[in-house]
Amino acid sequence: MTFFGQGLQQAWDLLLHNNAALLQVLVVTLKVAGLSTAIAVVVGVPAGVVLGLGRFRGVGVLRVLANVGLGLPPVVVGVTLALLMFPAAPLGRFHLIFTLRGVYVAQTVLAVPIIIALTSSAVRDVPRSLLDQARAYGASRRALGALATREARVGILAAVIAAVGSGLSEVGAVVLVGGNIEGVDQTLASAALERVNAGDFAGGLAIGILLLALILVITAALTWLQFGNRQEARVKAS
Amino acid sequence: MSLVEARAVAVRRGRREVVCDVDLAVERGEVVALLGPNGAGKSTLLEALGGIVPVARGDVERSGRTATVLQTPGLARRSVRANVELALAWWGVPRAQRRRRAMQALERMRAEHLARRPAAALSGGERRRVHVARGIAVEPDVLLLDEPFAGLDGETHQALVEDTSSALREAAGAVVVVVHDRADAWALADRVVVMMRGVVAAQGAPRELLAAPPSEEVARFLGYDGRLERDGGVLLTRPAGVVADGPEQGTVTRVIGQEDGVLAEVRLPDGTVRCRFPRPVAVGDTVGVGLGEGVIRFGHGGVPEDR
Repeated sequence: MTFFGQGLQQAWDLLLHNNAALLQVLVVTLKVAGLSTAIAVVVGVPAGVVLGLGRFRGVGVLRVLANVGLGLPPVVVGVTLALLMFPAAPLGRFHLIFTLRGVYVAQTVLAVPIIIALTSSAVRDVPRSLLDQARAYGASRRALGALATREARVGILAAVIAAVGSGLSEVGAVVLVGGNIEGVDQTLASAALERVNAGDFAGGLAIGILLLALILVITAALTWLQFGNRQEARVKAS
Repeated sequence: MSLVEARAVAVRRGRREVVCDVDLAVERGEVVALLGPNGAGKSTLLEALGGIVPVARGDVERSGRTATVLQTPGLARRSVRANVELALAWWGVPRAQRRRRAMQALERMRAEHLARRPAAALSGGERRRVHVARGIAVEPDVLLLDEPFAGLDGETHQALVEDTSSALREAAGAVVVVVHDRADAWALADRVVVMMRGVVAAQGAPRELLAAPPSEEVARFLGYDGRLERDGGVLLTRPAGVVADGPEQGTVTRVIGQEDGVLAEVRLPDGTVRCRFPRPVAVGDTVGVGLGEGVIRFGHGGVPEDR
């Protein structure tokens, strides 16, 4: 209990006395989670809708691959990307290794399959009768996609929550690609790892507590977006 | 000129041919009911008429646009009015006209009071009402409806049939509606097409078809549930054509309770008839029955004859 008490005390001290450094890590963390999720949404939601609605040959295989992507080991992704980003490697000319841009790329690679797989699953839960009726009234593919996206919005927001959560707490790929450089690409999760590796368990716990608080706040906001309107509709209906 | 015409149409579901060589033409102003037992191919034929399923043989010629109201009322998680407007958008109606046309359709289906309600909060009957309203709103040249009254309780069913009956005639150039209940066909249609095992077994104006079904099988499906072998032929009867307390004596073999009395199955020396009695009767009772109007006669080989 003393250990956890120290962690809480240090977390509090960090908030009060180490504002500049903490703020920098916090900003990097939010940038990594926000940008990777935004790119993943732009790429992954349309892809997930196509996989969810698709009736083309090979769609089943693509759905399996998307689900496999959910279980991508971050360390494997990190090592693979790092090897590709070294100066002599195919992506070397983009100068991504040990940079924040490289971390964005790594986290996006992890977030895209999450969005695709969960969006596809949510779209497949949209009642067939509604989609068939839309087709029967001559809805275009674009209109059908818009309908499916809107109807599956609760599930798609769950995908966004999962991607944001992954972005906030990711360590393996971020450290391997970014190098965990303080003041450059260090995130809250990788900072906590660094403290633990240095034997500063209370410090690691303190950052962990801050990270949990951040996840709680962001997830609560997204969950409100996810279900808030529906509760309002139920109240109106009753 | 026919608004939709099927010529020798066959449709397969997997390897099974569920509609076989059907010819059907629907004229402007007509309301046609497709009637038949489960698995007769009614819904499949409707989907083929609407171009929703491909035909394996033959062809379907459409003059104008066809809207199909499918069997399951799939509604989006929006208000009722937004659902109707959404259908209008899919149909290609300009945004400026959608609200007015949505409200008109809801009024025709007596559902205007539901306009602002979330679709998720509707009862089964209300969902069906909105589902049909969407089809009416798009004002197609041919409106196809697949069992629009399925799964409703008696009172809701009756109210919806009555409201739909008048709304349909104003809604489209022609209407084809799949119904399960004979009474719905009589209430809605100018022409009834009876399908059995994927083929058209009979068609005609409702009263004429009921008075002179072309085969014993169709007659049984239309409600002729009594059969007497008499004078070298077969007499088929409906309860409405058999009078209680008539001159022919028979034994009650089965009794079904009804609102105003009982429906009794009575065994006569040459067969069985069903007859409504205003008073209670019991199995084993000897009762009198008489054959009234609406009894049809089939000769040898199932050929219809005048009685």
